[in-house]
Amino acid sequence: MAPVSFNNVAKTFGSTEVIRGISFDIRDGEFMVLVGPSGCGKSTLLRMLAGLEEITAGTIAIDGRVVNHVDSKDRDIAMVFQSYALYPHMSVRDNMGFSLRLRRAERSEIDARVMRAARILNLEPYLDRYPRELSGGQRQRVAMGRAIVRDPKVFLFDEPLSNLDAKLRVQMRSEIKALHQRLKTTTVYVTHDQIEAMTMADRIVVMHDGAIEQIGTPLELYDRPDNLFVAQFIGSPAMNVVRGTLRRTGGAAHVETADGVRWPAGSGGVDGQGVAYGVRPDHLELVGGGEPAVPGEIVVVEPTGSETELVVRIGDAQIIVETHGRTTLQPGDTVGFAIDPANVHLFDQASGARLAP
Amino acid sequence: MKRLLTEARLVLIGIPVAIWTLLPIYHMFLFSISTKEEAFSGELWPAHPTLRNFGIVFREQNYFLNHFWRQFANSLLIAVAVGAITLVVAAGAAFSISRLRTRGGRLVLNCALFTYFIPAAFLAVPMYKAMGTYGLLNTQWALILAMVTIASPYAIWVLKQASDKLPWELDEAARIDGASPLQLFRLVYLPLIAPSLVAVGTYALLLAWNEYLYAFLLLSNDKDITLPVALGHFLSADDSPWELLMTTGLIYALPPAAIYYAFKRYMVTGLTAGAVKS
Ligand SMILES: Nc1ncnc2c1ncn2[C@@H]1O[C@H](COP(=O)(O)OP(=O)(O)O)[C@@H](O)[C@H]1O
Ligand SMILES: [Mg+2]
Repeated sequence: MAPVSFNNVAKTFGSTEVIRGISFDIRDGEFMVLVGPSGCGKSTLLRMLAGLEEITAGTIAIDGRVVNHVDSKDRDIAMVFQSYALYPHMSVRDNMGFSLRLRRAERSEIDARVMRAARILNLEPYLDRYPRELSGGQRQRVAMGRAIVRDPKVFLFDEPLSNLDAKLRVQMRSEIKALHQRLKTTTVYVTHDQIEAMTMADRIVVMHDGAIEQIGTPLELYDRPDNLFVAQFIGSPAMNVVRGTLRRTGGAAHVETADGVRWPAGSGGVDGQGVAYGVRPDHLELVGGGEPAVPGEIVVVEPTGSETELVVRIGDAQIIVETHGRTTLQPGDTVGFAIDPANVHLFDQASGARLAP
Repeated sequence: MKRLLTEARLVLIGIPVAIWTLLPIYHMFLFSISTKEEAFSGELWPAHPTLRNFGIVFREQNYFLNHFWRQFANSLLIAVAVGAITLVVAAGAAFSISRLRTRGGRLVLNCALFTYFIPAAFLAVPMYKAMGTYGLLNTQWALILAMVTIASPYAIWVLKQASDKLPWELDEAARIDGASPLQLFRLVYLPLIAPSLVAVGTYALLLAWNEYLYAFLLLSNDKDITLPVALGHFLSADDSPWELLMTTGLIYALPPAAIYYAFKRYMVTGLTAGAVKS
């Protein structure tokens, strides 16, 4: 167990800058998820921490010790790869015990630690099988077993679930989470899937284009995204965003889009400012006539059972609305929505930065 | 119907090819079970087939066969040594070029392959001079080293192709697990390219076993030469014992056939590994 800190870390491949001076700290025992669209540099950052990639500039420290020039094997980390990278010619037992064998541990100690890991991961019946004789989920668990026998300071995961089918992915997600709660080892987990990030993380680092967009707990990112990128990246279905001009008159405020629709807004921003106006699908409430409402026309109705997803045309915009329960609405119906200004996110049109609050 | 037609065509092509390749071997076999008198009779099967020739060869009862067993052992020793040394050289080179990404590795490989543009026969004289310089002439090391030199470029190339197909993440996982490059080589790399190692080792072994020109040039002492060179000596007589020559030849052809049969599986998959992108 150990804290990890990145200090102005940068990476260039040839002349391309892939990581642009990143700094953040991971606390002892924390489950930190790096999330971002594919190609944003998550794997590169993780691989620098693992010692598989040179650090171009800045420092990375594990447990207070700068590891820039420390070999992978001396960093006391364990990594789970997307492809699992199990040794095909070794049994599950030998795969899991390989690192201990290289460290010249006693045979009896290797056996004991492999058994312990196997018990935690329910791998006991498979110890003498070869990787090719295992299912995807079992291989995934062996890869994790290989990491935990070492009892390292930090676990690294690089998209470990992307090769599994949807159902198994959900199951392994909770298994990894449970494992972390049990072992409490500092974990850095890379994924491009924001749902994985939201469900597993203690804290999330949202990356984009080699830089950090925001760091925070899942709900902080959801409730108060720092910028338009995070707002649109976190949350499923994604946040609705329209662009318009902020009108602030007396106490009330609204954003007027080019098509003439007036969207109720809260505080933040100044009169006449060009803004991006964001509201999550579950924050648009269907209302009857009478109240001040945003009028729209139903385009698509998608029931999922417990919830119904509506695609609504409001002015020129296609807006996603999530309603609880079922509905008798049909495409073509005209409806009105109420939006609580407290649930509205305003971002500067040009910079994408959040406007208070 | 269409399938039948294709098969018929294949058979029509196959039969002449089979006859074409098998006829000389059959001829050799006929000689070996015929007496000297019958050998040139032109019959398809000798009137009095005999195994006497084999007895003469095994008991070294002919002037040309005085050192048969010794020469057979020489061939075997040299072939095995060439196979083994080529494997060590090629596996080490392929590992360092493909997995450790040693600088200049590709250049070395391309230069080595370039030697194949020059027929081996043209290199024989320079090789003879080189061995003379190192004082190795008339020692079996000369032939062993020469054959390793000839076999290595291709062996390295085949192993490099096979190595390139191993996933990188295995090396990275091993590095994180604490493996040094040597441990990576021994514990992960070698086991995984074992099929290609068998193929390459067999290739080098057979190349050395069948070599005539270099063996003829680099060795001269009757007790050092390999069997093909000894067989060549048969032809120096006016009245060569053809039936014994053919018998010895047949015996000489058996080990490669056995090896090929035993490792057939690896030969095909190993030597074509990396030939096409899968
Ligand atoms: N070895 C490399 N050489 C050159 N460019 C690379 C290398 N590895 C990664 N990149 C580039 O760096 C960027 C970030 O890659 P990566 O860290 O793998 O992204 P992610 O894991 O977020 O999808 C990509 O644009 C990728 O093309
Ligand atoms: Mg990646």
